[in-house]
Amino acid sequence: MSTLVNPLDERSAGQQSPAPRLDSLEGKTLALLDISKPRGSELLDRLEHLLKERYGVSRIVRETKPTYTKPAPGALLERLAFVDGVIEALAD
Amino acid sequence: MLSPGDSAPDFSLPGLDGTDWGLTAAAGDPLLVAFIETDCPTCRLTIPYLKRLAEALGPNGDRVVAVSQDGGEETKELVEAYDVSFPVLLDVDLDVSRSYDPPSVPALFLVGRGGRIELSEVGFHKGDLNSAAEKMLSSLGLPVLTVADPDDGAPAMKPGCTSRHLESAVPVSSGEVTVEPTAEATTEPIDLRPERAPAASRVTLADDEGPYEYCMSAGFSPFLPVVPPTVERVDTFLAAIPHPPDRVVGLVPPCYGPATIEKIVANAVMAGCKPEYMEVLIPVIKAACDERFNLHGVQATTHSATPLIILSGSAAARLGFASGAGVFGCVARANSSVGRALQLVMANLGGALPGEIDMSALGNPGRFSYCVAENHEESPWEPLHVELGFGQDESTVTLFAAGGLTEVSEHTARTGAGVLRTIAATLSMVWSWRRCGRVDAVVVLCPEHAATLSSDGFAKSDVRDFLFENTGVPLRAFDHEGTEGTQARDSYEEVLIDGEPHYRKFKDPSQIGIIVAGGTAGKFSAVMGGWLTGAEGSQIVTYPVKW
Repeated sequence: MSTLVNPLDERSAGQQSPAPRLDSLEGKTLALLDISKPRGSELLDRLEHLLKERYGVSRIVRETKPTYTKPAPGALLERLAFVDGVIEALAD
Repeated sequence: MLSPGDSAPDFSLPGLDGTDWGLTAAAGDPLLVAFIETDCPTCRLTIPYLKRLAEALGPNGDRVVAVSQDGGEETKELVEAYDVSFPVLLDVDLDVSRSYDPPSVPALFLVGRGGRIELSEVGFHKGDLNSAAEKMLSSLGLPVLTVADPDDGAPAMKPGCTSRHLESAVPVSSGEVTVEPTAEATTEPIDLRPERAPAASRVTLADDEGPYEYCMSAGFSPFLPVVPPTVERVDTFLAAIPHPPDRVVGLVPPCYGPATIEKIVANAVMAGCKPEYMEVLIPVIKAACDERFNLHGVQATTHSATPLIILSGSAAARLGFASGAGVFGCVARANSSVGRALQLVMANLGGALPGEIDMSALGNPGRFSYCVAENHEESPWEPLHVELGFGQDESTVTLFAAGGLTEVSEHTARTGAGVLRTIAATLSMVWSWRRCGRVDAVVVLCPEHAATLSSDGFAKSDVRDFLFENTGVPLRAFDHEGTEGTQARDSYEEVLIDGEPHYRKFKDPSQIGIIVAGGTAGKFSAVMGGWLTGAEGSQIVTYPVKW
């Protein structure tokens, strides 16, 4: 009989439920988060245009992560806390 | 912001228990006033160091005072989370913050005898924390203590957050309409610098349960059999380590599991380490958890980079690390097991499993183990650790987020320049041929090439400069629009190499690391490309080998 020392991270992962899905984009405020890959802004420019024109999104907020290699800073996420939804996009 | 020499404005603020605390009443020996916000990561990074200073001050621990720019509830939560015993005051109206006027927090003001400010600083600075501690402790006749160890895994400095009194009254928004953030924006407090973490649990196996298969099925090492981390083996290691088992060496990205001494040992046992290798493995884990290395990105990227450990100094030979023939292969227990132990810690405590968080498209054979020592005996130049500013007698571990190894054969060149031109051609290909600037590389020179270079008068810095000047991508390669690297060509520097227009591959010679390693026969050097470099990517980090 052997007794082993657990080598794993034993913190219990908290359960997170996804935020409720949006039933419509009409009249909503959306954030477009550019993760700062090359030409990401071009993709998001086009997306912003289509979201307003086709889906009646009332307002778009644009934010950019300082680098795509690290998580978004907390202050940036807090600035986006009031929007109805966020679309995060990359490009190359 | 008030500066050294200014008179510290008097103030009186309530503490969490409602009792007022006044500066004048506390006058006398030096006093450290720290302005903090409860949700500022840099403030949270600073608090354990303030605690350490307060503890060192003993009965005078209350000469460390924090001024919270947040409400009582958030501040109480912070105080409880960090078990803070020094006074924490509430500057709810921000009047005191306005009078001291720091642009950001944490902001430290050392108020000396006579009420003059002796030191004022914003952000996290280990040097300033140590000099404040030195002044306070020596003025009380207490032994001076390094409260912020330069090698404890935390960065030497880190900027903080805008001081509350300078924040606009309404939240900043990039759009034309300003909306109050909702309550859901509040995040759970995370302890970014725990000093202790719970003990590992024990798993007792049934008599008929094979420990080797159990370790695989339990996810301890799902893809390669390991030595079972029995209590007896772990205890043997712990007895050889001058640290308590529950001490946290670092939080391992990307899931930030606490790497306690005990957990590191359990993984080191599994990897086949000897107890004495822990002297090297512990600084390796610190380096991996160093923010500059950005293990979060290294582990989550689709690129194949993984940490390469480069050992320099006498500890390598003393502990049996290989630096000679076959050094990147499986040639010494020390190299193989320490490299493997880092990979196990990264998976088991960092949480990056292939295809889940670790999204590398191809992976990298270095993910089994990637650990080499520099071959000092065969190097004509100063060792890596001396080049990096460490003492000749010290030893270091350096971590480089490396892709695969590309060998460079050059058996006919008789001059140093000839050898380097061949290496430069391979260097021009790192990351992607047309991609210039934001890449770095390590060149591994074999002893024979190093000897040729040395006899031709090349110092190590000459080698680096030559490679920097002669590594480029010809402009004709950019005729193919739409290929990787062409979109950023406006930022590239055009130079002539051998009379032909090129874009310079590297922005700075420092992006090329150079080590000497390998056996004495065979003119095979190698080039290893890194991942995205600089503050936006992964920076090479070095830690001294010491307990």
